[in-house]
Amino acid sequence: MRDIINAALDAAEVAGASYADARVVDSSREELRVANGVVEGVEHADSFGIGVRAIADGAWGFASSREVTAAEAVRVARQAVAIARASALVAGTAVRLAPVEPARGTWSGCCAIDPFAVSLEDKLALLLAADEVLCLQPEVTLTEAHLGFYRERKWFGSTEGAFTEQSWTESGAGLVAYAVREGEVVSRSYPNSHGGGWQQAGWEYIAGLDLVGNAPRIAEQAAALLTAPYVDPGTRDIILDGGQVSLQVHESIGHPTELDRVLGEEAAFAGTSWVKLEDAGSLRYGSEHVTVTADATIPGSLGSFGWDDEGVPAQRDTIVRAGVLESFLGSRETSPLLGRASNGCMRADGWNRIPLVRMTTVSLEPGTWDFDDLVADTEGGLYLETNNSWSIDDKRLNFQFATEIGWEIKDGKLGRMVKNPNYTGITPQFWGACDAICSRKHWQVWGLPNCGKGEPMQVSHVAHGAAPARFRNVQVGVGR
Amino acid sequence: MLTSQEARALARATVAMTAETGADEAEALVFAESSALTRFANNRINQNVAEENAQVNVRAVVGKRVGVATTNRLDVASLRATCEAAVAAARIAPADPDFPGLPGPHDVALPDRVAPATLAFDAEARATAVAAIIAPSRERGLTAAGKVRVGHHVTAVANSHGVNVGMALTGAQATVLAMGASDNAGSGWASFLDADASKLAAGALGLEAAELAVRSANPVALDAGDYTVVLAPEAVADFLDFLSYVGFSGRAFSEGRSFMTGHLGEKVMSDLITISDCAGAPHATGVTFDFEGQPKPPVSIIDRGIAVQPVTDSYWAAKLGRPNTGSALPAPNSFGPMPLNLEMAPGDRSLAQLIAGVKRGVYVTRFHYVNVEDPITVLLTGMTRDGTFMIENGLLTRPLKNLRFTQSAVDALAHCEGVTRERRFVGTEEGASYVPGLLLSKFAFTGQTA
Repeated sequence: MRDIINAALDAAEVAGASYADARVVDSSREELRVANGVVEGVEHADSFGIGVRAIADGAWGFASSREVTAAEAVRVARQAVAIARASALVAGTAVRLAPVEPARGTWSGCCAIDPFAVSLEDKLALLLAADEVLCLQPEVTLTEAHLGFYRERKWFGSTEGAFTEQSWTESGAGLVAYAVREGEVVSRSYPNSHGGGWQQAGWEYIAGLDLVGNAPRIAEQAAALLTAPYVDPGTRDIILDGGQVSLQVHESIGHPTELDRVLGEEAAFAGTSWVKLEDAGSLRYGSEHVTVTADATIPGSLGSFGWDDEGVPAQRDTIVRAGVLESFLGSRETSPLLGRASNGCMRADGWNRIPLVRMTTVSLEPGTWDFDDLVADTEGGLYLETNNSWSIDDKRLNFQFATEIGWEIKDGKLGRMVKNPNYTGITPQFWGACDAICSRKHWQVWGLPNCGKGEPMQVSHVAHGAAPARFRNVQVGVGR
Repeated sequence: MLTSQEARALARATVAMTAETGADEAEALVFAESSALTRFANNRINQNVAEENAQVNVRAVVGKRVGVATTNRLDVASLRATCEAAVAAARIAPADPDFPGLPGPHDVALPDRVAPATLAFDAEARATAVAAIIAPSRERGLTAAGKVRVGHHVTAVANSHGVNVGMALTGAQATVLAMGASDNAGSGWASFLDADASKLAAGALGLEAAELAVRSANPVALDAGDYTVVLAPEAVADFLDFLSYVGFSGRAFSEGRSFMTGHLGEKVMSDLITISDCAGAPHATGVTFDFEGQPKPPVSIIDRGIAVQPVTDSYWAAKLGRPNTGSALPAPNSFGPMPLNLEMAPGDRSLAQLIAGVKRGVYVTRFHYVNVEDPITVLLTGMTRDGTFMIENGLLTRPLKNLRFTQSAVDALAHCEGVTRERRFVGTEEGASYVPGLLLSKFAFTGQTA
């Protein structure tokens, strides 16, 4: 692979590139889905190709191909340089990259039991067993159980002398129980909604989820939701479970601190940010309880790697410290605007996409509360669990989330179940109202395999460490 | 880049290879793409990419067991390995007693939807278009962001019952967001989609967005509540797409998750609302067959407010005992069938006439980040962006800060009181909606950007 990458890099330099990098990506994906006792899909997909990114005349160009040969690598590299020259026709300031020591070496993620080596029979047997348990609940008329596995091997080289090889495996699984009656459908998911739980791991992660053991609980809750009331509109104190906190971090802290958004580079599609470059070091983002880190070194996290797709080593950075904005998610092109080196957040969705600023593992650091103590400390309010829907404006200020399920809190105790509770807020006010976060005992890394950004669309695999947290005086029951 | 004939031949060869591997029935779906996208922001090109790819999806059937495998490695050994993986998956899956078998061949019209000008629209042409789009913003002290994209796509389907179709198409797309720098600045939006890149009037597109941005500066607040709204086509497309996503599928209908379940033949929307799927219309984009190679006849989904039928593929048509509407997605998928060529019928008014008929209301250029809170009522929440205005006494007056809505799409369309003559394509060349502007007399805004 080194020869093919070098052929591309040499061709780019000969064609006039001042910088070029090339990535070869070889990926495989396996998906198995069962619905209502029927196998809905058993699918295996492979993708292989090369992408070359080049700077010429101070501007970027990128070209890619599914043919991974030296001859095609040369053609693609020349095309990337020609595209860069066309970019220069409508250019701004010439692109400058922060210096980085050329990366060399190999890296691989955690994986004890290769999930691609586990038989399809065993995988389907697990799904069918869990699905069968879901179907035992009479009110549950629709069920879904799925397993997913992803493996990637990636080679990266640059004209600065970098050459790395990385490989990792991801495993995921999830169950959904739907209870349906005339004019109503409610759902409960385990271990998370929108794709289930995911880790950079092997079959050992799936085995540890105990899908069959958790199926009765979510089926019973789905059935109970049919007759549960909606939340009365108003302002309440809310405690969010770790999964919902992780999505709240993703949407209202992760995305708005991506430097490309801050600089307007994503304005037309995903939007910009309410945060400005000059806010670093001074902006009050949340309460003193809110400390947020971006860490690409957490073993087993979907947000971990050896080097990002610019060859910058994985690292941990503090984005918000005790409520004050301290840093951003950056790249070799954007971080110098802060007078800093890149903190290594550039990642691409495959060989045919350019790297963009993406989250790594962006986490709300744990607090000190035990969950039971936090509930006991809450006089009146709601405990909300498992995301159901999400929406946020183009500056990442006004958001509205709904969860699958909630429970009223009265006099420090969990009480009546409520269905599909939603809440809305404005980002800095909401994080400013965070007055308690549960301890590391309740903290876990939540994998999120479906973060969309960019044009052409790229889907990134990121993660968030989060524990349950409490927010005061939040508007709930919107539009109900 | 594979030609349509080459893609069809590859699909047939893959079907034969899958049968040799032990499948009782086999289907191959070939996609090939040559595309390029020039992105701009802050009045300059910031990303510029090109891609060549091709992919083969193999569906193998053993009895009533189905397996799927996909690859973009097109050498014989890799294709054979993919066929074997599909057959191995099929052998292991428990039988689905409802699987009706792969469908047989039918005549499919294959219109020419390739525009030579799009094939020739190279990086320099895209840069020239970007410069023209940016110019009106630059002249007004605004910044422009957006994209100019061109694509050449080939889709072919073959199966062991004789299905053998293939078609090439092109698409050209441009979007522009113009915006000012200050916190109180406005923003404006315009978009273009056509098979033919030569129809892109780049300067006019940039001007439309820039003028909207200037006009929407210094927005004011609006209290939450129910308002009359006029939705521009881009905003209507979001509502139509979500109706389709959660409500039009034969699967959702069968499982009781659609607003149409139990209500076929009933009036569910205003009699001004007619929605159909029309892949074969002369103006349509996309291919004229579905991903099982079945023809896509015109399908009436909502007729003058009455729920007519959900869409189907071969599986859900058999299960529901309804005709196959040719709405299959690539197998396997958890959505079921989906219409990809939606149209909302035009009315008899202009957008200006709709606005003129409103005493007090809100005009929405487009929505942002819409999501579903309740699938049965298609309860949606999202934000407005890039040109939200107060309508007072029939005129657009003050620009408004972006508003959050929490609104049932079905209920919103039940309160439709006006539809424009003019319609626009919104989406991508492979699946665009053709939509008018609408006047809705009741629409719930529930919040606002600070």
